[in-house]
Amino acid sequence: MSGVAPRPGDHHLAHTDEAKLFERLSRSNLVTTWKWYLGVGIAGAVLLWGVIVFMYMALTGMGVTGYNKPVFWGLYEASLVFWIGLSHSGTLISAILRLTHATWRAPVLRGAEAMTAFTLMVGGLIPIIHLGRNWRVYYALPYPSSRELWPNMRSPLMWDAMAITTYLIGSLTFLYVGMIPDLALLRDKSAGWRRKFYSALSLGFRGTHAQWRRYHVASTLFAILIIPIAVSVHSIVSWDFAMAKVPGWHSTIFAPYFVVGAIFSGIAGVVIVMAILRKAFRLESVLTPLHFDNLGKLLCTMTLLWGYFYFTEFLTVWYNRNPEEWEVFSSYAGPYLPLFLTMIVCNFVIPFPMLCLKRVRRSVSLILVPAISIVIGMYAERLLIVIPSLARRNDPFIWANYFPTWVEFSVMAGAAAMFVLLYMLFAKFFPIMAISDIKERLFHTTDRTIGGTTVESIARVEGEEEAHA
Amino acid sequence: MSTVIVGLFEGVETAARAGRALKGLSLPAGSVTTISAVPLPDGAVVTDPAPIRFPRIAIAGWFVGAAAGLGLSLATYMLYPLVTGGKTIVSVPPTLIITYEVAMLGALLGTLFGGGREMGLLRFPPKAIHDPRIHDGKIALCARVEGDEQARRAIEAMREAGGIEVRAEEGEL
Repeated sequence: MSGVAPRPGDHHLAHTDEAKLFERLSRSNLVTTWKWYLGVGIAGAVLLWGVIVFMYMALTGMGVTGYNKPVFWGLYEASLVFWIGLSHSGTLISAILRLTHATWRAPVLRGAEAMTAFTLMVGGLIPIIHLGRNWRVYYALPYPSSRELWPNMRSPLMWDAMAITTYLIGSLTFLYVGMIPDLALLRDKSAGWRRKFYSALSLGFRGTHAQWRRYHVASTLFAILIIPIAVSVHSIVSWDFAMAKVPGWHSTIFAPYFVVGAIFSGIAGVVIVMAILRKAFRLESVLTPLHFDNLGKLLCTMTLLWGYFYFTEFLTVWYNRNPEEWEVFSSYAGPYLPLFLTMIVCNFVIPFPMLCLKRVRRSVSLILVPAISIVIGMYAERLLIVIPSLARRNDPFIWANYFPTWVEFSVMAGAAAMFVLLYMLFAKFFPIMAISDIKERLFHTTDRTIGGTTVESIARVEGEEEAHA
Repeated sequence: MSTVIVGLFEGVETAARAGRALKGLSLPAGSVTTISAVPLPDGAVVTDPAPIRFPRIAIAGWFVGAAAGLGLSLATYMLYPLVTGGKTIVSVPPTLIITYEVAMLGALLGTLFGGGREMGLLRFPPKAIHDPRIHDGKIALCARVEGDEQARRAIEAMREAGGIEVRAEEGEL
């Protein structure tokens, strides 16, 4: 990073070649490789297939899925919870790290916030996909019509619609506002249509002293507001289930359990995304083992928390032996044993011991093992929440198992491809690294000599933003 | 549009020296600012005299959102009085949830629009003072001046403090 010979007391930005730093951090915008086109092509093709199959399902009817009586919720709802859960940590981590002034946060912020925005877009589409007569989705909008029908705000599904909408708008705003200084930077560094594009998006931000002060207060306010919204969203997603008198769902612990599970899978998602960004855009000097170590520690804590919540839920049902609930839990040892084992092994048995080891946390390739394992385990957990409770619902005469058909697999593959495609397009046209935050960190960092050693010292203006926010 | 003296500085220390020198010119509050690629602490080079008011807009947005959420819930209950799960038509817990979500949305939008307005975003004056070299580590110190004498003294102060380029521009700060 060195551009100019450092002098004692200089901040790190003073001896950083900023042009080179810009090139390194904006690699995703500046260089387009054949791999990017290939990735976009594959993701686009899978998404197209998903759209075609969805159209087929919409024209033919929900009978082409594996739904049966009494399992009317299946892969789609499990995927909804999974995607909304994945969305949790991006913005939440970013907001918490911003408010706690975690000095290592800068390189993680943008990628994590973008992950939230796109997973929410995918997750928000799934209720519409599952709706049945999808073209009537506008019935959920409150507007006067000749039918005199109004959305039923007493339904948890409407709470969900409101919460996801608020969180999506909040996450997009948080992502966009955080990008404004970087969009201004790209505006000043680009030409042609790109200059016009970034000029419009940077909204005339120039970096005056007054603008920076207000920008910081706005960022802090957004961070303060987005945390309770994030918690409420997954609580409300859990209430979609917990409000129903369905064994296995009707539990008071569901809201915090869902929030913990969402943060758990979300952090794992952030680790995977960071590792891919690091490799794809050669960000080794920016996304260092320290970042993975810190994310690994968070992940290790969440593994324990998830285990604690799951055991608490299981223990009360096991001891109580309420017949209706016990039948659901017993099915975990029957047809749902593979899912149950996948969940336990992938969410706890593999990640916990691995994440306890510093060597694993600081190795980008090794930490991917528990991160991928957790994402798989949490998907299994979502399936296990949704399906057995319906398949073993109160009356044994209506019990039936469920397995998704090619239609559901295709549509959900399309949804996953949509996430990949959106992320790749974002990385191409927008700054995937929070360049201004990284520069600000360098600006605040000096080398300080303590006795016989030199350590990094990071300055911070105490309480300026909080005083206003 | 007015005359603005723009001095380009290598680092904060020289810009701060120029900022101190400009104080001696008794320029009106708010007529001296920096343009930089990283935020500088208030008082490092210049001080921002204007109070930050938009958090009040965020709070107002919260209340407007809460009122909208409350109104939405109550209106839909009354317009379509469907008994759900044996609950009363006007049920308090769902009302709290909808009110909370819309209130938070109001606060977010209040922050976005209030903050954006106070930051002067979406204002594209025909000639805004700017220097892209701030992205290469430079700091631009800008002083809005009136009359040739003030301009001459501001240029002198910036040059003496170590400005690597000092120029007069017609534009908006």
